[in-house]
This record gives sequence, C-alpha cells and structure tokens, in this order.
Amino acid sequence: MNAARLIWASIVAVCALALAPVQAAGQMSLHGRAEIGRVEYRVRDSGTVQPSSGVVFGGALGLLIGDRFAVWGEARGGRLAAASAEGEDRDVAEVQLAGEAYLRPWLTAQGGVNVRSYSTPLARQRWTTLRLGAEARVPLALDGVHGLVRAQWMPVVSVSGLEHPDIALAAGVGVEWRGPRVSVRALYTLERYDFSGSAAAQRLEEVSSLQVGATLRLRTSGRKGSETTPSP
Amino acid sequence: MSRIALVALLLGAPAAGAAQGTTAEMLDRAVHYHAELDVEREVAILRGIVSPNSPFIVTQEQRGLAYKYLGAALVVRGQADSGILYFRAAIERDPFTELEPQKFTPTELAAFGEAKRLTFALGVRPVTPDTIDPRTERLTFTVLSTHAAALRVELRATGASTMLPLYAGDNDGPRELQWDGLLGDGRLAPPGRYELLVTGLSRLNQRGDSARLYFSLEHDHLPLDDTLPTLRSVELLPEQLPPGMARSELLKGFGLATAALLIPRTLGNGDLQGGGPALAAGVAGVVSAAGVAGFIHRQRHREIPGNVAVNARRRAERAAANAAILQRNRERLAETRLVVGPAAGVGP
Repeated sequence: MNAARLIWASIVAVCALALAPVQAAGQMSLHGRAEIGRVEYRVRDSGTVQPSSGVVFGGALGLLIGDRFAVWGEARGGRLAAASAEGEDRDVAEVQLAGEAYLRPWLTAQGGVNVRSYSTPLARQRWTTLRLGAEARVPLALDGVHGLVRAQWMPVVSVSGLEHPDIALAAGVGVEWRGPRVSVRALYTLERYDFSGSAAAQRLEEVSSLQVGATLRLRTSGRKGSETTPSP
Repeated sequence: MSRIALVALLLGAPAAGAAQGTTAEMLDRAVHYHAELDVEREVAILRGIVSPNSPFIVTQEQRGLAYKYLGAALVVRGQADSGILYFRAAIERDPFTELEPQKFTPTELAAFGEAKRLTFALGVRPVTPDTIDPRTERLTFTVLSTHAAALRVELRATGASTMLPLYAGDNDGPRELQWDGLLGDGRLAPPGRYELLVTGLSRLNQRGDSARLYFSLEHDHLPLDDTLPTLRSVELLPEQLPPGMARSELLKGFGLATAALLIPRTLGNGDLQGGGPALAAGVAGVVSAAGVAGFIHRQRHREIPGNVAVNARRRAERAAANAAILQRNRERLAETRLVVGPAAGVGP
C-alpha cells in the first residue's frame, strides 16, 4: 500500500470514528477556536541549517459528539522569516482533520491527517502526514485548570520531492483552563523529522511552536450534555 | 407402731384445714341466731371464736366480724358498755367496719356510733389491680376516719421527698379521692412504687392516727424505637484534603515544566541546535505558575465541597429519621396507660 492510499484510508477511518456515534450519542455541540502561535522552523539540508520563525494564525471548528468523541477541522497560516540573509522566507499553510476519542477523563486518543505546505518564491513543498497519538490531562488545583502532555507518532509522512522520513515524532506540554463556554490553552509542541541519508548529508527538519488559543462553544443540539469544552 | 402413727397423722391433717371452714360455719350460725334474736346461743358461739383457747384457726377478718356481732349481741342483752368495747375492738382492727341498718336495731346502731366516737382510727382501702387511661380515667382511693377529723392525704414516690397533696381538710367517714396520674409538675407519674399517706387528728379527742397504702405503678404503651446513632467517621466522606495534596500541586506544576524543558533536549535533534527552548521555557513558566497557584489555593481551601455537601445531606437524613422516630415515640408515650397494683412496701 503506498502512502497516498494509506492516508486516504486514514481519512475515512477518522471520519468514521467521528461520525459513527452520532445517532447513539444524541447530543452534539459545535465549537470554534482562534489561535495565534510562534513557530520556529529549522531544516538542515546539505549540511546547512536554515532557521526561520514567525507568527502563525489559525482557526478551527470542532464538533463534539456526546461525551466521547470529537472531530476538528483546522487551518493555520503565516510567514516564517529566515534568520539569516542567506536563507529564504517561507509561507506556511496547513489544514488538518483530526478525530479525538475521550478514553478516560484524563486521557484522549488522537488521530488525524495534516496537509502542510511550505512556499518560497522558487518552490512549494507539500507535506501530508498521518498523526496518531494521545493526550493526558493532569488536573491542577485551580478550578478548570489542567496540564496537558501530548505525544504523537506520524507513521505516514509524504513529502513532495523527498522520501518519507525515518523518524517522525511530536511531543508537547501545555496548560488549559476550561470554563462553562470558553476554554483557553497554551501549548508548546515540537515536531521532529529525520530523513534517511549519510550523517553529514542527512536532511533534518524540526518545527517547534507555542500556540495560544481560545475555544468557544458556539451551539449545542440535542439533550444537554457535559458543560466542558472539548480539547482540540 | 410407726406405721400406725403415720396413718394417724395423715388422718389428722385435714382436720386443721377444716378448722377455718368450721370457724366460718360457726360465724354463719351466730349470724343466724342474731337474726332470730337467740342472743344466748349467739354469744356462746362468738365467745368460743374470739377465745384465745379456740381450737380453730380464726382469721383477722373473722375475728373482726366476731367482735362486731358479739358487741351487737351484748348490746341486745343490755350490756351496752361491753358491747361498745367489742365494737371498738372491731373498729380498731378494721376502721371500715360498719353495721348494716337493715340487719341491726337502732339500739345496736347507736351503740356502734358511740364506739366510733370513742375510737379514732384512719383507714385506706387497698387498691385493686387495674389499668387506667390517664387521659380519660382516674385512679380512686378510698380513705376513712371513724369520726370527725382534720384529714390530710398525700402521695409520693417511695424515696422521694416531694409529696403530692390529694386532700387536706375536715372529714367524717369514708371519702373517695381521685388521682389523674400526674405529679405536681404536670408530668405523668413515672413507673415505680408509691406511698399513699393518710394522717389525721381527731376533732373529738385530739388524738392522731395515720395509715399507709403502698401500690405499684407501671406504664403500658407500644414499644419505643431506638434513635439511630450519630454517623461514624467511616460513614462520612473526608471533608478535607490531606496536607500533602498541596505539595502534590507544586510537584505537578514543576513536573510539567520539567517535561516542557526536556522536550527540546530529548526529542529535539542536537544537530539542529533548535527545539525552541525559549518557547518551551515560556510554557514551563506558565505551568509552574499554575502549580504554584494551585499549591496556594489548595493550602487555603482544603475542603472538598462535594464531600461536604454529601455529608451534610447524610446528616440531615439521619436527623430527619431520628426526628421521625422521636415523634413516633412521643405519640406512643402520649397514649400511655397506667397499670396499678398493690405493693407490700417501699421495695422488695
């Protein structure tokens, strides 16, 4: 099975996971999120490290189904400025379809498909990634405040013009406050991609970000469910 | 020889049992002779009964009856003074002794009246076993003074110093007194033994006398239910977090901060010398602040509101159950009946 077919199969699986319990749950709520983030992007190609960074804006719509499942559609974009004169500025844009299953009050399974593009005046590179992971929520004493610890594995990564990386991992730590209708979150994440190749010529990429977002419950239908705001 | 003695003893035993019956038969014959005015035979029989040498057993009641008829017979024979003496002996034994007007002549009645004037005695009739509802019924005592007297009747629980006066005033003859079962404070008399004390002073000869009656009192009502005990600690949820919980908040905050700081060092690729340590430090600062804030909050607010509410509800339910039990018991006590019976004295 090639990567594209696997990704499409994953998309179908995520949608099925998100939509299957709709009839059983009988209650859905729609959530919207706005976020701003600082992104640092580093890539080493042919022995040269090219760092760039910038501010990324994003938005998301999420559908919480019952108390167990959620599906999110997300979009982000921004400009990453090169840190040195030799480097090139890049525009980054990405969309993501993610599903979540709340296995325990403190544990959420996550899966999704992410499509990201890096554009320079000379070329555009597209990344398509299948993400699988989990997020643990650590309750803190303050009312509605939780710590977040996230780990993800990208078993399928398709990069235009490149072989798939040997290592594709992500991890994050954050904190979140949930109110009756609004939640606010700060999340630091690091994505690491190591491509195959000799030690000196090996292509390495890394994306670190600190995102701050606010989520608002927009609408609720069906019987009254949990007042908590889902975590994307 | 010994067998003959045993047979003789067995044959003689019924004779003693029949002696009382014999006294009763003799009294019946004496009363019969008195009705037929056969005074001589009557006196002979009665003297035999009251004689210390009587071979038969004579009860106090029989002796008192014998004295009464002997007094009456002597009055009929014209020996009024002797008759009065026997009447007084009968009265002293039982102050309730009376001559029935339909059976005795006016002369006898007059002599008996004189005997009562000369003899001062107080009496109280024994109570009979009975059960009364104090809400609607009364316990009746019958007291008596043989002639005019200042009479005082008081009631008290044995061992108690407080007396409940039932009557104080002049009296001549029998008097019925009723008691509602309540003490001076308006409460129902508790179970136990009681003493009815009758004291009096003769208006004719200034002599005093007293009489006592002991009786027992019991409460009769439906069984009372025990109230439920106070909730024990094992039946309640902890209302406060242990002090160590505050420190754990601090540890959680610093643990998350440490994880944030370690991600660039462990997951980040060292060849890129990146990982966004400044970004990680930023979020580490935020989660550390959240941990410190949680530590302070937990130290100041150790209570567990949910558990406090649950415990309050459990206590309220227990209190309501006990209030219902107490109310039910009060209703049962309000229907208490008094069981009265004679008693021998202040106690066994």
